[in-house]
Amino acid sequence: MAEILLAAENLTKAYPSGDKKLVVLDQVSFTVEQGSRLAIIGPSGSGKTTLLGLCAGLDVPTSGTVSLMGFKLNAMDEDDRAYLRNQFTGFVFQNFQLLSTLTALENVMVPLELRGERHVQPKAKELLDRVGLGDRLHHYPSQLSGGEQQRVAIARAFITSPKILFADEPTGNLDEENAQQIIDLLFGINGEEKTTLVLVTHNLELAQKTDRILQMKGGRIVDERRTLVS
Amino acid sequence: MIEYILKIKRKIRPVWQDRWVWNMAWRDARHNLSRLFLLIASLITGIAAVVSIGSLNYSLQGALDQNAKELLGADLVINSNKKFGTDITDYLDTAKLTTAGDAEMASMVMFMNSGQSRLVKLMALSGDFPFYGSLVTQPSDAYARMKTGRYAMLDESLAKQFEVSSDDSIKIGNTVFKVAGVVTKIPGGGALTSTIAPAVYIAMQTLDSTGLVQFGSRVSYRLFVKTNNKKETETTINGIKPITKKAGYSYETVEGRKEGLGRSFRSVYQFFSLLAFIALILGCIGVASSVHIYAREKRDEVAVLRCIGSSGWQAFNIYFIQIFFLGLIGSAIGATLGAGIQKIIPVVFKDFIPVDLPFTISWEAVAEGMLLGAVVSVLFAILPLVSIRFVPPLTVLRADATPVKMFSKMRWSAILLIALFPVLAAAYQTSSWVTGLAFSAGLAVALGLLALVAWGLLKLVRRFFPKNARFAFRHALSNLYRPNNQTQVLMITIGLGGFIIATLNIIQHSLLGQVEFTGNTNQSNTILFDIQPSQKEGVITLIKDNKLPLNQIVPIVTCRIQELKGRKVEELIADTVNKVPSWALTREYRVTYRDSLHRSEELTKGKLHSFEPGKKDSVWVTISEGMQDQLHVDVGDSLVFDIQGVPLRVRISGIRKVEWPKDPPNFIFVFPMGVIDQAPQIWVATTRVDEVKGANRFQQELVTAYPNVSLIDLRLVLSTVEDLFGKISIVIRFLALFSIVTGLVVLAGAVVNSKFVRIRENVLLRTIGARTRQIMQITLMEYAYLGVFSALTGIVLSLGGGWALCRFFFEVQMGVAWGDLATVGGAVVLLTVFIGWFNSREVISTPPLQILRKE
Repeated sequence: MAEILLAAENLTKAYPSGDKKLVVLDQVSFTVEQGSRLAIIGPSGSGKTTLLGLCAGLDVPTSGTVSLMGFKLNAMDEDDRAYLRNQFTGFVFQNFQLLSTLTALENVMVPLELRGERHVQPKAKELLDRVGLGDRLHHYPSQLSGGEQQRVAIARAFITSPKILFADEPTGNLDEENAQQIIDLLFGINGEEKTTLVLVTHNLELAQKTDRILQMKGGRIVDERRTLVS
Repeated sequence: MIEYILKIKRKIRPVWQDRWVWNMAWRDARHNLSRLFLLIASLITGIAAVVSIGSLNYSLQGALDQNAKELLGADLVINSNKKFGTDITDYLDTAKLTTAGDAEMASMVMFMNSGQSRLVKLMALSGDFPFYGSLVTQPSDAYARMKTGRYAMLDESLAKQFEVSSDDSIKIGNTVFKVAGVVTKIPGGGALTSTIAPAVYIAMQTLDSTGLVQFGSRVSYRLFVKTNNKKETETTINGIKPITKKAGYSYETVEGRKEGLGRSFRSVYQFFSLLAFIALILGCIGVASSVHIYAREKRDEVAVLRCIGSSGWQAFNIYFIQIFFLGLIGSAIGATLGAGIQKIIPVVFKDFIPVDLPFTISWEAVAEGMLLGAVVSVLFAILPLVSIRFVPPLTVLRADATPVKMFSKMRWSAILLIALFPVLAAAYQTSSWVTGLAFSAGLAVALGLLALVAWGLLKLVRRFFPKNARFAFRHALSNLYRPNNQTQVLMITIGLGGFIIATLNIIQHSLLGQVEFTGNTNQSNTILFDIQPSQKEGVITLIKDNKLPLNQIVPIVTCRIQELKGRKVEELIADTVNKVPSWALTREYRVTYRDSLHRSEELTKGKLHSFEPGKKDSVWVTISEGMQDQLHVDVGDSLVFDIQGVPLRVRISGIRKVEWPKDPPNFIFVFPMGVIDQAPQIWVATTRVDEVKGANRFQQELVTAYPNVSLIDLRLVLSTVEDLFGKISIVIRFLALFSIVTGLVVLAGAVVNSKFVRIRENVLLRTIGARTRQIMQITLMEYAYLGVFSALTGIVLSLGGGWALCRFFFEVQMGVAWGDLATVGGAVVLLTVFIGWFNSREVISTPPLQILRKE
């Protein structure tokens, strides 16, 4: 049996809303095995992105626990969680989230440089080559199209060879052609690197490419099913 | 059961070893240089002001040290208000010391070329004054020529004013002098001195021929002594001490003059450095405000960095490094600019400085400025920057994610240091803890009040928002309430500059108004003094012949105090416990006699007593309030006056409150009629001359018939005061300019920093159909509103500040030149609109699609 990389246990997230509490996630539990691909789907406001944030340690739950690589995230402080993210995770966001003041190459190099590693440029160049941006190394985000920016984001996400990749609507801001290219790249590199993938999406077709789908509604998991891929 | 790992071992590198942080700081700064330059520009003017004033101080101290002897023109100066006796001259002759002398008095001078006359300071010189420094004349041989006979030299300003050239003549007293030239520089003199009292110089041997030195004339005599060394000066001082004490002379040494000047300049320097300090504090506000906006804009990028693994401190350090180095660059530019401005300062300050001020860079001031800049940039950047540490990484997913509230030691330390900074910096600037504390408190009150006025104005506008006004008017106004627009900070910073200038204007106007008021409401505007008893009737006739009113004709008797409350003056001076200042005991008093109160007087205590001949202790005098305090006397106390050799015991019968500027002459002591009427005396007459032509004719006739009689024209006093204010206000305006410029730099920074918000707004407006003209209108109007509000903030507060200063400090009635204030306000509005427009050109003219792509 494969090792469990991510485990969520009775996760609840609530926000104060006036005098009341708004429960966004309600007692959610699931696990993700190493090397597997999980899609979280559901309508807007169902709690998908909140769940992704909690799993990646970007936020802390109101109750319940998240463990990533065996580390209990809610017992750690913000800087420890940041360190953990740098060591083991990668991210791809809907709105790319590139650093506007850095070139494509520099954006890709940042996570490794942050680890204190040197001579990271060749690896970053190679990854950018791999995503088809070998000739746009020194372009700034504002000089790249949406599809190109997302490819830089993918290169940045994979440069640390993460154990787990979190992707939040990676094709949400792209046209169909670009979206397809990104999906191919994301799943292609993911397959080669054998990275665990947690993907939040509205796109059922995209979700079908993963091994397992969690269907959410009203802050709860209402369905969990294996796909044909698995 | 899953086993969790609760701790993670992570390597923490100190900032200087964290290459990534330094790399990121540089990479990020490359694209923000223009924005960050505006951030440091806030520092530049503040540091420039501090460095230029600091440099001036160091240069001035240096120049005073180097030219100390030149200030006095001699090693020792002995002063007297009567002719020197042989005791002192014999002593100096025996000691084989070189001496020179002068006699100084006020006198009328008639300019023969135009027939005009003026009251001047007449200086009769003897010997080879000055021994140090030089008396520079034009032509250069004028001084030598003057010594040969009936030649006179004039201060340059006087010669210019009356268009006197070397061929002209002037009449002083009974004698006509040929003009030998003009004096452009004299030790101890300066442009300011000659503005207040322009001088005419003649040779001592010609003074008697003028007939000016008569009984009752106020003449000051000085003996300039040259010694060979410091020791000889000390020996001389010890030698003359008994003589000076006995004869009532005083003396002044080079050290004494230097100290006195140093003290005066220290006060002036303290005032100026505090003005510079205001510019620095404005710069601090600018730094804090820019960093605040900068930190908010960086929030999204910080969230990304946090998401990919940066710690809060690492993110903080990236921007801290940027601010720190740019702060250093800003300080260096500011210090260089300050050193450069120092070249202009001697030009601006030339009238106030009695020595030549060479252009030297004071490295001490430059170093201080750079250090101050570094401290300011760090201190005022930390507080707004500390929020970077707490940016939640969740922001990458939800823009509205709020940081967890955490206690930050750094935040509280920064708050404490920021609170302490103005006190420490002002105390350092002024070398006084008390001044530092007082100034910081004052500044805090001023800024607090400015903030209050700004807040009140904004509230008021919101409360009475013109809902039915045209769209552009409404929209521009509502833009001021845009989040992060920093409207209130801008109103304070720009308003503070306006406040300083407007307050200065109110004070100037009020003081001038006081003189004008006195001139207008007094019955008299012309005072004739030094009238000998034999000339009294003649002068009265002359006044009447010129169809002028004789408002007053007052006798003046000179006397000294011999005893105070039963104790001899010498005894009181020797008594260390005695509280009466010795100048009040030894001075010459000019008293009058009458049995009634003058219109400028009010009896506040006691009563008026007429003289009752034959009765013991029946001489009762009244005293003015101020001098009563100084002499520590009250109703019933006794004094003995020495009235030109005759002792006279009197008692205080009453205390008078005197409005000194009102209808002069006014007196400290007033005797009753019938006591000193026969004592040697002179007379003062007052009249009113309204017409210039008539005034000139009257003066001409007076000088011709009674050359020793001097005339004070209050209108001339008014123009002298105006001239003086003009000179002072140039200096203050020059320094207030730093505050205005800093305020505008802060404005420019805020405009540039909020550019992207405004671009988004304009794109939206364009999308829904706004034309370029309308956007331009809205933008200009927004800055016009900001300018109007800032100007109003400054002016409203200046009215309050001006009132308080006039009421409690200057004790005059406040006068407001509304036209001048409107000009100040208009200039603030224009500058604000210009800066706003200049920095918004891109926002206005760029097509929306291009901006959307950029965004």
